[in-house]
Amino acid sequence: MTLPKSASIVIIGGGISGCAIAWNLANRGIKDIVVLEKDTLANGSTGRCGAGIRMQWAAEKNCRLAQYSVDFFEMANETLQYERDIEFEQCGYLIVAVNEKEAEQFKKNVKLQNSLGIPSVYLTPEEAREIVPILDTSQFVAATFCQKDGHLNPFHTTDAFALAAERLGVKIFKHTEVTGIDVKNGRIGSVETTRGRIATDIVVNAAGGWSKAIGAMADIDIPTYVQRHQVLVTEPLEPIFSPMVMGFSYNIYIQQVPHGSIIMGRSDNTEPLDFRTTSGWKFVEEMTKTCSKLLPALRTANILRQWAGHYCMTEDAQPIYGPVPGLEGMYLACGFSGHGFMLAPATAQLITEMILGESLTIDVSDLDVGRFERRELVFEHSVV
Amino acid sequence: MLINTGIATQELIKKLIPSPERRARGPYAMVECFQEIPCNPCSTSCPFGAILPMKDINDIPTIDLDRCTGCGICAGVCPGLAIFIIDESKGDGTATVTIPYEFRPLPEKGETVRAVNRQGNIIGDGVVTRILASKKTKTPLITVQIPAELVYEVRFLNLIDDKSNSEEPSSTYQSVVTDDLSSKVLDTVEIDDTAGTENDEDEIIICRCEGLTLGVIRDLIREGYTTVDEIKRISRAGMGPCQARTCGPLIASEIARMTGQPIAEIQPSAHRPPVKPLPIEFFLGGDSE
Repeated sequence: MTLPKSASIVIIGGGISGCAIAWNLANRGIKDIVVLEKDTLANGSTGRCGAGIRMQWAAEKNCRLAQYSVDFFEMANETLQYERDIEFEQCGYLIVAVNEKEAEQFKKNVKLQNSLGIPSVYLTPEEAREIVPILDTSQFVAATFCQKDGHLNPFHTTDAFALAAERLGVKIFKHTEVTGIDVKNGRIGSVETTRGRIATDIVVNAAGGWSKAIGAMADIDIPTYVQRHQVLVTEPLEPIFSPMVMGFSYNIYIQQVPHGSIIMGRSDNTEPLDFRTTSGWKFVEEMTKTCSKLLPALRTANILRQWAGHYCMTEDAQPIYGPVPGLEGMYLACGFSGHGFMLAPATAQLITEMILGESLTIDVSDLDVGRFERRELVFEHSVV
Repeated sequence: MLINTGIATQELIKKLIPSPERRARGPYAMVECFQEIPCNPCSTSCPFGAILPMKDINDIPTIDLDRCTGCGICAGVCPGLAIFIIDESKGDGTATVTIPYEFRPLPEKGETVRAVNRQGNIIGDGVVTRILASKKTKTPLITVQIPAELVYEVRFLNLIDDKSNSEEPSSTYQSVVTDDLSSKVLDTVEIDDTAGTENDEDEIIICRCEGLTLGVIRDLIREGYTTVDEIKRISRAGMGPCQARTCGPLIASEIARMTGQPIAEIQPSAHRPPVKPLPIEFFLGGDSE
């Protein structure tokens, strides 16, 4: 397949966001869409993520974005006519609070979530233990649980969007790196790649960790930065527990995925702020410590592999959606800060609406790139 | 078919039976391995070169019975427990079969045990004449003396729970396989005589952790998943306990063959710690018990 001379829209990034946006636009009848991916699909943050999907957020906007996405994922095999399976298992998220202050916040979260139609519940440690029998109840004071949260296979989901997009005529070029963006009179003119130049009016920057570098090619500053995050996985075991168990103060997310393996990750503010995806010792030491406190029964599980990816972070850990002031034709879908995978259907819908000039299904006008200069940050506390 | 039941057919077994002269001469190995999988410890372990070197790790082992002494090393190393040592040289109406036995407790020498066939049915009694517990392979080899006519049937043993009463099989193993079930399985067995064709190759297990065949891998390559990483993400090949040690190079060579790229240009998937599976508690250090 040769690179076309021109395209109506060039989407940079073959992760979940880029592929979902491409499908959504094509599904609305847009022709001549090109997706450029410098490596293989889902090779960046998407394919390295913890694969959890949750609607239990503290900020209303995030609840709505996640709710939209969960509704989509529930029917995604059918919607995208995927012959394999995206493996969406609504096995729930169980989030533990370690002190009264956190428990109070959780009560507020549940109230908000319920008001939006998200079926989360507030639980005592004993009630939580009925859902995850191997929890050490002395390690937390309360929990919330939402059965409709769950787990989703990042590779298959990206594959499903990509195949559906290709059937609608989208051209996806793997191993094709963007090397430059030509801007004329404040408008996007063309995109330069390792395989040639494509003339286009519209560029969607869905390059995740590389979104800042893509912006720099068009002389704009996108305030994102990358941070390494590590994950480990055990051998597949007989079913022990199904929900994602999460603790914000505890700094853990851990789940036995439908295949039987247990995946766990944590955050570490001392992690390097660069594109390193090597594995470190400190992570595995800290991770195993946290895990064996909260879920002591897992001590004997064998670790098969640890890996690393990066979060594309913003200052307020919220995504950046929308156009760029002073540069006509560039749309941003980046800075997801660790939640881009689960929000992809909403991302795709919103970016499509912005490009087509339609009113937004969910108002994300405050998640624009200008909020950082205006100092109108939108914080979300329920993050690991 | 064998691939569905896991039980070798009479036709497959018959092909392995040596000449009358060889059978009379002394013990020999019966390599009941009919599934092409990436596995070769039998051929590399034989100190007599009787199991011939494999051209491809997927090859089914070939045995030179003139060189085979029936020592049993291959039976101990075979991960599939598919090799048995047969000795019919006594000529007194009895024969022995040596069985790799990975259960505890072990029987004792001289003990009477139940002789079990490939379907899991008890077909007679045997007497344990030798127990070889190799420290190296960790798979004990139990030699059982049985009636000579059962030597191509008996492939497992059951201990007799109540040793004072060896007349009745104990109830614990009666329920495991019923006669009905085993006869049903046997009725549906088909002989796969398409060996060597492309279709047959498609059934080779490439990834043992996930049970993926070469056919699955080839389909993915045809669909455009032409890197080791992409195939791993879609199929899980390489995500299991072996972490691509076995399947990785095989998948890379199949990509090279089908796409015409030099194998040196096929990027392997990343190898990550801990490389060998290690328990969570291993990393907890000294401050916990």
